[in-house]
Order: sequence, then structure tokens, then C-alpha cells
Amino acid sequence: MSGSMQDKIAQLENYIMKKCLWQFHSRTWDRKRQNERILGMTRQLLLGEPVSTETPEERCYWVDAVTMAEAFKVRCPWLADMSREEIAGLMDGLYERIDFLTVTGSLNQELNDQHY
Amino acid sequence: MPYHEFKCSRCIPERKQHAVFKGKGETITDALPLGYLNTIPGSISERGCAYCGAKHVIGTPMKDVIHLSHGPIGCTYDTWQTKRYISDNDNFQIKYTFATDMKEKHIVFGAEKQLKQCIVEAFKACPHIKRMSIYQTCASALIGDDIEAIAQEVMDEMPDVDIFVCNSPGFGGPSQSGGHHKINIAWINQKVGTVEPDLLSDYVINYVGEYNIQGDQEVMIDFFNRMGVQVLATFTGNGRYDDLRAMHKAHLNVLECARSAEYICNELRKRYGTPRLDIDGFGFEPLGSSLRKVGLFFGIEDRAQAIIDEETARWKPELDWYKARLTGRKVCLWPGGSKLWHWAHVIHDEMGMDVVSVYTKFGHQGDMEKGISRCEEGALAIDDPNELEGLEAMETLTPDIIFTGKRPGEVAKKIRVPYLNAHAYHNGPWKGWEGWVRFARDIYNAVYSPIHRLALLDIGKDEIPTDKGFETQRMLSDADLPDEVRNDPVLREYTGKYNCLKDLRKKTYPPFERNVLAEAV
Ligand code: SF4
Repeated sequence: MSGSMQDKIAQLENYIMKKCLWQFHSRTWDRKRQNERILGMTRQLLLGEPVSTETPEERCYWVDAVTMAEAFKVRCPWLADMSREEIAGLMDGLYERIDFLTVTGSLNQELNDQHY
Repeated sequence: MPYHEFKCSRCIPERKQHAVFKGKGETITDALPLGYLNTIPGSISERGCAYCGAKHVIGTPMKDVIHLSHGPIGCTYDTWQTKRYISDNDNFQIKYTFATDMKEKHIVFGAEKQLKQCIVEAFKACPHIKRMSIYQTCASALIGDDIEAIAQEVMDEMPDVDIFVCNSPGFGGPSQSGGHHKINIAWINQKVGTVEPDLLSDYVINYVGEYNIQGDQEVMIDFFNRMGVQVLATFTGNGRYDDLRAMHKAHLNVLECARSAEYICNELRKRYGTPRLDIDGFGFEPLGSSLRKVGLFFGIEDRAQAIIDEETARWKPELDWYKARLTGRKVCLWPGGSKLWHWAHVIHDEMGMDVVSVYTKFGHQGDMEKGISRCEEGALAIDDPNELEGLEAMETLTPDIIFTGKRPGEVAKKIRVPYLNAHAYHNGPWKGWEGWVRFARDIYNAVYSPIHRLALLDIGKDEIPTDKGFETQRMLSDADLPDEVRNDPVLREYTGKYNCLKDLRKKTYPPFERNVLAEAV
């Protein structure tokens, strides 16, 4: 295991901001939902918890989550040395950070536009 | 991430909020250019109008349709054939352009009669085409012609035709982006759900926000066919009008250009429950990951993996040949909207190029969020630049090449910066593994074209060397390459065909699987 929790979150954040598109939907409510569902599922996958993929909507979130969980494992070998609690803490921190970058700290003035 | 003030725009102080340098360790929450605002008076924008965005970006790529502009002839004629969205039906939609040719008398007395005559005349002139899109322009919007009523009248009289009306006049938004929005919403409101399709596969998608520039769509359809995935409709490149009326029946919307087509995906999600999957179709790794995601959705990811393995093995040595020669070359990535984020990271990762600037003509702040996140530190991000800002940026950033549209591209040439047409391409398609190598080849040919060396010399003042012969591209590109790279036995230049679509169009595929899922349950 190497680096502080903050460094680790930064590595995962870097992957998401460079490689993913799901976090950039166009409205606040939309981004919040995407972040919650996709990062939530990624957390479950990394913790080995079951993920529901019953509905098409869930399956679509799961596709991004599973791609990301796989990429995290390949790019961040230190994940394998983390305990479940540590992974849970890591993913909570990541969720908070992505929410900040894309919603609460975002300078995008269109996010709260009433029209879609 | 400080906002950047162009010297040439000091007299337009509002412009400062539209340009930002990506500083070390900074993120999009530190500074973000404004976007999707009305162009500031005094700033000569490179944008198009909302009619152009609706018709020439999204409407016209539909291939089996008469595209009729209701307005003065200049609206359609002056923008005709500026995009290379080809089709496999002999390019009907770009070969011809139709307008109602409104004149002063129509502005005074109305042009509805003229419109009806033109519709009927166009259908008579093209008896094999039974579908039409009519586009409102500033003139017909201002006089209030009721295009829907006329279209309905014709449909009542000619039951075998169907007509779509797009009310997106030039003033309907700050840029072409306003038109993208309007035509997305008009299509779903008027046409989606009016045709019930034949579902041939268990795996059915719409491919959305793809305009078949020089064959991109056909390349992607080949991959989907090889995976056994039926593409019900492509919105809109090489797309059929009636297929697009059946979009509601797909299992998944695969969205490429979110800038121009997220609206219809969002509506399909809301109205029909079809999920939206955003993908990147450019570059080896992003494309592979995108196909894998589509595969995962249907539980057939092994099929995607087989394509990834085959294509990578075939094309990687060629991409790497160009990468070795393009590494460290500086590029201004100045497209219209979505390519700023589709390409920003992957031309760096897979071709070794340094993106020194990204800009967007009509993108929204969301596009800048994506683009700035993906480009490297130090890049200058500009929203809706004017020509002088473009010149100033090129003079200070000294790029080796810019990827942009025709208008700024010709300006770049004047200061001896080579450009590639980011909208219409040079020798596309640029999607797919092979396409990505073709893109690399186009970049290589532009950066190392000896003509640019010659053009740098001014015969009025520079000394013209007479002791040297003509330099070739290889002499220029390989001059500083280590021997082991120059003579690498694995790497090679592009070996595909001049026209890589010809064989693709003849290709046949095994029938799709149908009801495998239902039987298995
Ligand atoms: S701005 Fe109006 S008049 Fe000009 S091309 Fe666009 S629709 Fe036509």
C-alpha cells in the first residue's frame, strides 16, 4: 500500500475525469443521480457485494461501474492490499470528491437551468 | 487556473471570461470559461446559426430524405456540401439541396403557396424519395408561415409521403447548438413512435450523435454487426427516416456526440425508459472500452473482446509508426463541440501529441468541463474565439498543427500552420482502429509536408538555399529518430486501402440471434 488516502482518491479521480463521460450529464439532478448510482455500484463491486442489474437502467449504470472497477484494480494494485473498511472509506471519499468536482463545486452555470 | 486576456480583445473586456489556462494542479472548479452565450458584439465569431445547426449538422445526414429549406436560397445554398456526411445510397442527401427561394414578394404576401408548390415539385422531381424534412429559416419564421399546416395538407393529398417540420430559425439560439436542441425535440415529438420496426436481434441499439463523416458510421455499424447487435436507427448519419421513427423500440441508446444529441437520449430515457450510454468512438483504447460496454450491457462482451484483439493486432504497429514520429508535436485542438473532449486525451495517449489549446465554437460549459479535464496541464481553453484571438493564440503557442474547421483553418495556413479539417476530415473515416491510423497518417502528412517548409520562406526577403534538394516527409520526420525506431521491423506505415469503405459495403454477416434470451428464461 502506498500513499495517503488523499493520493489514492486522486488516482481514482484522475481515471474518472480523463476516461469517463458518465459524470458530465448536463443538469445537477442528473449528475447527482449518475454519481450516486455508478459510484455506488462500483463501491459494491469492489467490496464484493451483490449488485442488482434487473432493469435496463440498472444494467446501464452497472456497465460503467464494472468497467471502472476493473480499471481501478489494474491501475491501482494497492487496492488488493486494502481491507473492506478501507475500500469503503476510499469510495466514500471518491464519491464526495466527484460530487464536488461535478456538482457542488462546479462552475457550470447551466447545471441548474430549469429547461433540459 | 487564471482567466486569460487576449491582447487583441482588450477592447472587449467580457471576452476575458471565455478563456482559461489549465494551471498545474488546478481543476475545473478553479476556473471555467463561460459558454453557450450570445456572441459579444464586436467579436467576430466563427459560429453558425441555429438553422444551420438543425439542418446541416443533424437533419441532412438522413439519407432517404428531401431536405427543403423554407427561406431565401442563400441559407441552404451557401452552406451546401460543407460537411462530408456521406451515405450508402449514392449520397442523395448531399448531392442535392432544395430551397423555396423566398423573395421580397413572399415576405410581403406570405410564402405558404410557394412552399406547397415546392414540396410537390420536389417530390415529383425525385419520385423514388417519399420522405421530406422542411427547415424554417429566419425569413419564414418572421413572417409566420404555418409550415406544419402546409406539410399536413400535402400529406393528406399524397398519402405515400411523410414530412417532418423543423422550426429552428437562424436566430433560435446563440449558435448552431440551439438548432441541435430544437431538432432533437422536434423529432421525438413529431416522429418517434410512428413506425413499429422489425426487431431482428435480442440486442438492439440506437446509435445516436453519429453523422457518418466520411464513413465513420459505416465503420461502427460493422463492429456492431460483428457483435450481433442490431442498430435500429442511427441518429442521423447514413440513417433512414423511417428507422428513426422507430427509435423507441431499441434496448439501449449508445450516445457518441452528447453535445448535439443528448437531448433525444434524455427524452427517450424519460418517455420510453431506454437507458443512455455515453461512449467514445475515437482511439484504440476508448473505442475498445466502448464496444466492451455495449457488449457487457447485453452479456456478450466476449464478442467485443474478439474484435478488440483482432483489430489491435492488425493496426497497432501502424499507429505506433506514426506515434514515434508525432510524439511531442504540439496541436491546437479547435473543433466545433464534442471532438474537443473526444480527442483531447487520446491524441496525447496514443499519438504522443501535446494538446496546447482546446477550443469550442458552440460547446456549452459542460463540454469545456470534459475537455479541460481530459487535456494536459498548460493548455489554453477558449470558448467561441474570434479570428484575432485564434491568430494570437497560434503566435504565442506555436503549434505544429491545428485541427479545426475550414474558416479558421484557412487563416492558420496564412501564418504557415498546417491544419486538418476536424469537422469534415481529410482522408477519413477516422473512427475505428483503421480510421484512427488514417487520422494519424493525415496528421503526419500535414505536419511533415515539405510544402510548409517552402512556404515558410519569403522570396521577398529570405535567402533561398540553392545547395539543397527537395526534402521529403521521411527526411523531415525521421531526422531525429533513433536508429532502432527508424528501422524497427515491427512498425510500419498505413497499409490499408485508399477507399476502405468499398469492401465494408459489400460485407455480409450471419443472421442476428432472436429470442435466445426468451427461450433461455
Ligand atoms: S441566420 Fe437566418 S438568414 Fe442567415 S443562414 Fe441562418 S437561417 Fe438563413
